[in-house]
Amino acid sequence: MDRRELLKMIAAATGGVVIGGEFFLAGCKNPDAGVGVSSTFTESDIAFLDEVAETIFPKTSTPGAKDAKVGQFMTVMVNDCYDQKQQEAFHAGMKSLNEACKTKHGHDFMKATPEQRKEMLVALDKERSEYQKTKKKEDPNHYFQAFKQLTIMGYFTSKEGRTGATRYEPVPGKYIGDFDYKKGDKIITSLT
Amino acid sequence: MADNNTFDAIVVGSGISGGWAAKELTERGLNVVMLERGYDIKHGKDYEASNKPVWEYPHRGGRTQEMIADYPRLKRDYPLNERNLHYWASDKDNPYAETKRFDWFRGYHVGGRSLMWGRQSYRWCEEDFLANAKDGIAIDWPIRYKDLEEWYTYVEKFAGIQGSYEKLPQLPDSHFLPAMELNVVEKDVAAKIKAHYNNKRTLIIGRTAHITGPLGHSPQRTNCQYRDMCWNGCPFGAYFSTQSSTLPAAMATGKLTLGINSIVKEIIYDKETKKAKGVRVIDAETMQTKEYFSKIVFLCASALNSAWVLMNSATDIWPDGLGSSSGELGHNVMDHHFRVGASGEVEGYDDKYYFGHRPTGFYIPRFRNFGGDKRDYLRGFGYQGGASRNGWGREVAELSIGAELKDALSEPGGWRIGSTAFGETLPYHDNKITLDKTMKDKWGLPVLNFDVEFKENEKKMRVDMKADMKEMLEIAGVKNVREYDNDNAPGMGIHEMGVARMGRDPKTSVLNANNQVWDCKNVFVTDGACMTSASCVNPSLTYMALTARAAAFAVDELKKMNV
Repeated sequence: MDRRELLKMIAAATGGVVIGGEFFLAGCKNPDAGVGVSSTFTESDIAFLDEVAETIFPKTSTPGAKDAKVGQFMTVMVNDCYDQKQQEAFHAGMKSLNEACKTKHGHDFMKATPEQRKEMLVALDKERSEYQKTKKKEDPNHYFQAFKQLTIMGYFTSKEGRTGATRYEPVPGKYIGDFDYKKGDKIITSLT
Repeated sequence: MADNNTFDAIVVGSGISGGWAAKELTERGLNVVMLERGYDIKHGKDYEASNKPVWEYPHRGGRTQEMIADYPRLKRDYPLNERNLHYWASDKDNPYAETKRFDWFRGYHVGGRSLMWGRQSYRWCEEDFLANAKDGIAIDWPIRYKDLEEWYTYVEKFAGIQGSYEKLPQLPDSHFLPAMELNVVEKDVAAKIKAHYNNKRTLIIGRTAHITGPLGHSPQRTNCQYRDMCWNGCPFGAYFSTQSSTLPAAMATGKLTLGINSIVKEIIYDKETKKAKGVRVIDAETMQTKEYFSKIVFLCASALNSAWVLMNSATDIWPDGLGSSSGELGHNVMDHHFRVGASGEVEGYDDKYYFGHRPTGFYIPRFRNFGGDKRDYLRGFGYQGGASRNGWGREVAELSIGAELKDALSEPGGWRIGSTAFGETLPYHDNKITLDKTMKDKWGLPVLNFDVEFKENEKKMRVDMKADMKEMLEIAGVKNVREYDNDNAPGMGIHEMGVARMGRDPKTSVLNANNQVWDCKNVFVTDGACMTSASCVNPSLTYMALTARAAAFAVDELKKMNV
């Protein structure tokens, strides 16, 4: 068994990893789900997802989610990797967030200020966190779980995120098992 | 000089065993054709993804619904992925039937699974070869550790195995290249385990077929660069594969012909001489049948496919195929059972990290039912695992969203350590493969039907596999230790073994002590099919040693006109 996959399996089995684990097993849970269902994201959907992602991972001294084209990435993942139910839940989640914004602020999420967006998504993340803790195993994930996970994954696996926010070492050439670290030093990442 | 279809030897398969057979037979002077059922992959040049960063994959290495639909078997575990999908055989072209679930993950191309293997390389110990006889299980091995010892050394010197010298009776040292390093947390846990168990349990660096120092005979290979990109194919040739290691050596003799797209469907058996004359092949692209002739045949098609070739051969004499007279051909299917263990959090070491992406982890050699320990099951298990700092995929419960979360995930998290056991499976006669009565593959050839399951001994062992790891981690001071048992179907270990076992008696075994088919002495089977028991260590190094040993024997016998 490939070494890295083995470590992922262990971590996924024991709760060490949130994203790698679920992504690694994607599809296993619904082995007989339908294929090639809708690809109904529009340009404005991508713009919307870009703003959601940028609110989760804003540009600072390091690139933001928009720099990493996370909105586009989310649509590719949802279209190609999600089963039909997960896709429907994702689309419904987008709609739900926009409606909530209209109710609260009287306008679309796209027209909201960065502060309004952040306030909404912080509340939504709290709702997600509580729901995920109490939900039954077979219940679907909260839709914001997908928004957040895809943002984090899309960012750190993008060229902009990896080279801009981590210490990217594609060819280390050596291994040092006792390497000094101080707070603020970036995570060391590889080609994968 | 060989004409286009007559050779001294035919090697069926180009994976770890086939590559070794080709190297040894050509270097010992034979003209050899190596027949590979799949396409060619040239070293370096055809490793398309070996330098490809994750962002160039549309799904960042994951799996799509389309892939899931296309690979109904491969989807059951990690091999279905975007990064090296073309290295895994198509489930659609190569279906198989399951009386019981069996996960068969295959590589049909030059190099076979030597390109994607886990590279863990361990010698068997004396006890492993004695175990069946001692326990009264199945049949005795016809060879002992001492028969293989020099061959282990021989293949290790060529393949290049890194590891540490430990002088452990249950895990004999190899001829090592400099060992890769345990990281700071692993070293600390190792010391605590060693002290607590009074040297009865040890945590060492996982021994792998990676180059960490020069190999004079293989200047084309370069030291490991710690990229951890192994399973895309290594352009540095840092790990052992057919392409990096045995194929160049065999080619250098000028005596090797490589036949690709050549599905060996049967061995041509001559009733008069009671020997094989050659093999019958279907061209995977053109569907044309072609015959090759030779003095000897080495079957190295991967365990289950080698049995499949035998089952399809000489059926006019033996209805169940060549080598079936013992009633053991296709029986005693073994794999290692795993996906069970524990992991937890390590406090402290906030000022420590590691540099480089090490392509191995730690190994804890077997300690159960060994050296005076006695359990309510037979045999034992070892552990593979690692300690690392959490990455960007971790949960940060105290942070919601925003710049704080991005910054936090841009730095490493706390340390974790965890592992999975790999346990020995017993050879059960009723764990078997047969030719399915109805299903056919893309080429109209019959396919295998699997009837294999883990039984009580394995289930009992899993209790210890889980609990022992938890105990060791807790003794080492690891916090929040969680056990897990992800269960596993036979085959997931990708260590298929046993379907044409070696033995001392033609009535109870398919092969003799030199890997010759009892019923047809010029056919040798040296891949996982030949294994009489499974040990708990990864098997590939033993296939290398058995293959080199059998090849030397075969050439001697040819010279003596005995085969």
